[in-house]
Amino acid sequence: MILQLKDLFKWVNSGGNRVFLLNDIDLTVNEGEFISIMGPSGSGKTTLLNVIGMLDDFNEGEYIFLEEPVHNLKEKHRANLYKEYIGFVFQSYHLIDELTVYENIETPLLYKKHSRAERKAMVADMLDRFNIVGKKDLFPSQLSGGQQQLVGIARALVSSPKLILADEPTGNLNSAQGEEIMQLFKKLNDEGVTIIQVTHSESNAAYGSRTIHLRDGLIVNK
Amino acid sequence: MLRNYFKIAWRNLIKSKGYSAINIGGLAIGIAATLLISLWVYDELTYNDHIEHRDKIALVLQNETFNGEVLTHGGIPRALETALRTDYDSYFKHIAMASFGKQTMGFKDVSISREGLFVQSGGPDMFSLEILKGKRNGVEEVNSIMLSESTAKALFGDKDPVGKIVKVNTKYNVKVTAVYKDFPVKSSFKGIEYVMPWAFYVKTNRWVKKAENNWSNNSFQLYVQIADNTTMAALSSKIKDLKKNLSKSTKKFNPELFLFPMNDWHLRWNFEGGKQTDGGRIKYVRLFSIIGLLILLLACINFVNLNTARSEKRAMEVGVRKAIGSSRNALIYQFLSESFLVVCLAYSIAVVIVQLSLYGFNELVNKHIYFPWDSALFWLGSLVFIMLITFISGGYPALYLSSFKPVSVLKGVFRPERFSMLPRKILVVAQFTVSVVFIIGTIVVMQQIQFSKDRPVGYNKNGLIQIPTANGRFYGKDVLMRNEFLRSGAVVEMATSTSPTTAIESNESGFLWEGKPEGFVDSFAWTKVSHEYAQTIGLKIVEGRDFSKRFSTDSSAVLINEAAVKYMGLKNPVGTYLKSTGYHKGKWKIIGVVENMITQSPYEPVKQAIYAFNKRGDLGYYNLRLNPEKSMSANLKLIEKVFKQHFPNSPFEYQFIDEEYGRKFAEEERISNLASLFTLLAIFISCLGLFGLTSYVVEQRTKEIGVRKILGASISNLWIMLSKNFVGLVILSCVLAVPIAYYYMNAWLLNFEYRINVSWSIFVVSIAGAILMTLITISFHISRIARANPINSLRTE
Repeated sequence: MILQLKDLFKWVNSGGNRVFLLNDIDLTVNEGEFISIMGPSGSGKTTLLNVIGMLDDFNEGEYIFLEEPVHNLKEKHRANLYKEYIGFVFQSYHLIDELTVYENIETPLLYKKHSRAERKAMVADMLDRFNIVGKKDLFPSQLSGGQQQLVGIARALVSSPKLILADEPTGNLNSAQGEEIMQLFKKLNDEGVTIIQVTHSESNAAYGSRTIHLRDGLIVNK
Repeated sequence: MLRNYFKIAWRNLIKSKGYSAINIGGLAIGIAATLLISLWVYDELTYNDHIEHRDKIALVLQNETFNGEVLTHGGIPRALETALRTDYDSYFKHIAMASFGKQTMGFKDVSISREGLFVQSGGPDMFSLEILKGKRNGVEEVNSIMLSESTAKALFGDKDPVGKIVKVNTKYNVKVTAVYKDFPVKSSFKGIEYVMPWAFYVKTNRWVKKAENNWSNNSFQLYVQIADNTTMAALSSKIKDLKKNLSKSTKKFNPELFLFPMNDWHLRWNFEGGKQTDGGRIKYVRLFSIIGLLILLLACINFVNLNTARSEKRAMEVGVRKAIGSSRNALIYQFLSESFLVVCLAYSIAVVIVQLSLYGFNELVNKHIYFPWDSALFWLGSLVFIMLITFISGGYPALYLSSFKPVSVLKGVFRPERFSMLPRKILVVAQFTVSVVFIIGTIVVMQQIQFSKDRPVGYNKNGLIQIPTANGRFYGKDVLMRNEFLRSGAVVEMATSTSPTTAIESNESGFLWEGKPEGFVDSFAWTKVSHEYAQTIGLKIVEGRDFSKRFSTDSSAVLINEAAVKYMGLKNPVGTYLKSTGYHKGKWKIIGVVENMITQSPYEPVKQAIYAFNKRGDLGYYNLRLNPEKSMSANLKLIEKVFKQHFPNSPFEYQFIDEEYGRKFAEEERISNLASLFTLLAIFISCLGLFGLTSYVVEQRTKEIGVRKILGASISNLWIMLSKNFVGLVILSCVLAVPIAYYYMNAWLLNFEYRINVSWSIFVVSIAGAILMTLITISFHISRIARANPINSLRTE
C-alpha cells in the first residue's frame, strides 16, 4: 500500500453554504497500480490529485502516505515527503521557459543536494531513455507539445519517485502524441512506478488498472 | 545551484530587454547619483586633510558685543601674541601671527601679482607645506620668501629659484628660501602663492608696526598648534578672559577669546550670539546626503515595483519549482541572487557613468574630485553597498514572489489578490512625494537667487572696473592718473576708494553724534573716497549734496547712507556733525545722504556706512567708469597703456565690478545647480518607474480593454479610465509633498534676511508640472493599447 485516504473531506464556504469539493473520500492505492480518475468538470478530480500530491490541504479525514500520517505532518516534513516520492506531470507541461531541456530536467535534482556529476549522469539517463538527447540544449518554446510533455515526464521521473501524479497529461496534445504519452505511462507502470492520472478520455483511462469516477466530490461506482 | 540561479536571471534579463533596461538603467542612474553625492560629501568632510596636525591646529577667534549683539570674528590684535607668548607658551607647540595680502613680485623682466600669506616661524610647519626645494622653515630671515610651485614657474620658468633675489612691491629685495607644492584645492590655504615672514610685513607697513602693543586694532590672524598634552576646550577656557583682563579700552565690547579648531573651519564656521551653531556648510553636506539617500530610495522603489508587477510572469515558475521540490527559502535565495546580479550590473554601469560625468560634475560644484579607483576602502564599501541595495530592493519582491501557492498558480490563470497593488501604489506615492518636494525646493532656491540678483545694488555695476593700488608706487598720483585716464578717452570718470565697491574692508566705531543713546556701541562701514566717487560708480544722492571741489571744507565732510540715517536715528542728517575719539580722531560734517549700496552679502540688509573724504590720498582702488561709446577691449587697451606708462614695473590688474558682484552668488548658485541636477535625476527615475509600471498594468488589462472596446468605449474613454489611477496617485503625492516642502523651504529661507515669500504659485506650478509629466509618461503605453485592435487582444486565450 502506497497511500490511503480515509473519510476525507474538503470544503469551501460560499455565502453561508458549505460547498464540498471532496466529500467523504475513501481510497487506497497499492504500489504498482495505474489509477485513472474520471468525472465531469468541477467534480473534484484535480482537487483530489492536488490533495494526494500534498499541494492542497483538506479539512477533515486522514491521509496516510507510506505509513506516515500526512494530516499530522508539519508543512516542511510534508514537503520533504512529496519532494522525495512524488513526481508531477501537468496538462500544460509547466516547463520553465528560461531553462533548456537539460536544465529543466535537472532542476528537481538541484533541490535534493545531488552532486554535479550525479546530476549529470541522472539527466543523461533520462535524455537517453526518452530519446531526446539531441534536444537537450533547446528551450521549451522550440519544442512541439508532445516533446514538451516528454520533457515534463522526464523531469517528473528524474528523481525516481514512487508515485507519478498526472493531471490530464494529454489534454493539450493531438491524438497521436497523446497515444505516445500513454504508451510511455504504461511502460513506466510496467517497470513498477505507481501512477494516478486525471483524464477525460475513456481510451486513456483504459490504460489504467483501475478507474475511479468522481461526481460533486463523491466517489461514485459506475 | 547559484550558477543555475544566475543563468535563469540572466536569461530573464535578456528575454525582456525593455524591462531590464528600465530596471537596470534606473537603478544605475540612482546609484550613480548617490556615488557622486558620496564623493562630494567625502570631499567636503576631508577638507584640509593635507595638514598633518589638523586635530591640534586652531585659529584664535573672539566674541565681541556691540549693542547687545555678540559678534564672532577672527580678527586679533597684535598685543595678544605677546600676552600668549609670555604666560601661556608651554600650552602651545606653535603660535603664529599671520596676515593675508596681495603683492607684486618681480624677477628680471617678469612681474606678477599674487595672493599670499605673511606668517611667523612655525607657520610652514603647522600648515604642512610640502617643500620641493629649499628649507621647510623659510621665513626665519626677514627678507625671505617661499614660493609656490606655480609662482616659481611663472617667475623663473624652469630655473632653480632657491637663493635668487625677487623684488617685492617693486621696492624690496628678498631671497627665495624654498619652493613648496601648491596648496591642494580642498585646503583653507588654497591660492596662497607665497609665504613670507611676518617680520617683513611688520617692517614694510607702518600701521602694522604701530599696532604692536595695541589691543583694539583687530586686523590680524593668530594661528596656534596646541601642545600634545592639552585640549582645545581646556585652552579656550584658559584664555577666555585674557583680553578683557589686560585691555581696559576694549572692555566695553566684552571680548572673549577662544580656539576654533581647524576641523571645523570649513564646515562649521557659523556663530550666533557667540555660540557655535549647528549651521554652516555642514548643513549642505547633510542636505545632500539626504538627497542622495532619497534618490537611491527612488531607484530601489522602481526595482521593487517592477519586480512585483512582473509577478504574474514569474508566478508559474514559482509554482513549478515548488511542485518539484523547491522550498520557499530556496526561492527567496534565488530571487535575491537575481537581484544581486541586477544590482551588480547597475553598479558597474553607475561606476562608468560617474567616471564619465565627473569632469562636468567638478565644473558644476567647483571641485577636483577624482574617482577612487585605487582605494581598497571604496571597493569594500561598494560591496557592502551592493549587498545593502540587494536586500533593500530585492527583499520584498523575493518574499512576495516566493509566497505564491503552487495550487493556485498551476491551475492556469494566475490572478493576483485584490490588494496586491496596494504596496506598489504606496511606493509610487512615496516616489512622487519625494520628487515633488525636490521640484518645489529647486524652484524656491532658484527664485531666491534670482530675487537677490534682481535686488537693486544702489549703483551701476556695469562698465565699471577697479584697479587695486596696493603698493607705495601709487601714492600721491591719484589726480595725475585721473587726468591721464580721462585724456585717453577710455574712461568717462574715475575715483579712488579705500575699499572696493563689493566689500567692506574697514569698520569703525566710537563715533559721537547728537542724540546718540547712552551706552550705544556703534559700528560703521568706513570707506574713504575721492570727490568723484558717487558720480563714478553711479551712487545716487538722496539728500544734501555730493563732495565738491568748490568747498574746501569738504576735506572734513562725510556722506552717509540711508541705513546710517536710520541707525543713528537722525531726523535731519544733513548738517549734523560726527565726532570720533577712536582710531580716526576728528570731527566731520554730514553733507549728504546716499542710497544704500550692497557691498556685502546680497542676502543681508545693507550696513550703515560712512564715506569720508580721502584727503591724505590713502591707497586702495581706482574705480573707472568705462567709456560706453568704445568697445570694452579698446577701452582696456588704452587703460593698460596709460597704466604701464606710469607704473612700468607693476602688473596691470583690474576687475570687472559686475563679475566681482556676481561672485557673491557663486556658492548659492552652485548649490542650486547641484539641487537642479539631482531633482532632474529624481524626476527621471520616478518617471522611468512609472513608465515601466504602466506597461504592466496595461498588459494586465489588455483583455478588459478589448472587451470594453467591443462594447463601445472610445479611445478617450479608455485613456481617461487608465490615466485616472495614476493621476490620482500623483495628486495624493502632491498633497503630501506641499506641507513638507513648505516647512523645509521656509526654514531654509530664514537663513537670508532679504528673501522671497514662498508663494502658492510655486506649488501650483510644481503640481501642474508633476501631473503633466505623469500624463506624458503613461500616455505612451496607454495610447498604444487604446488604439490596438481588440480582436488581437481577445484572441490571446
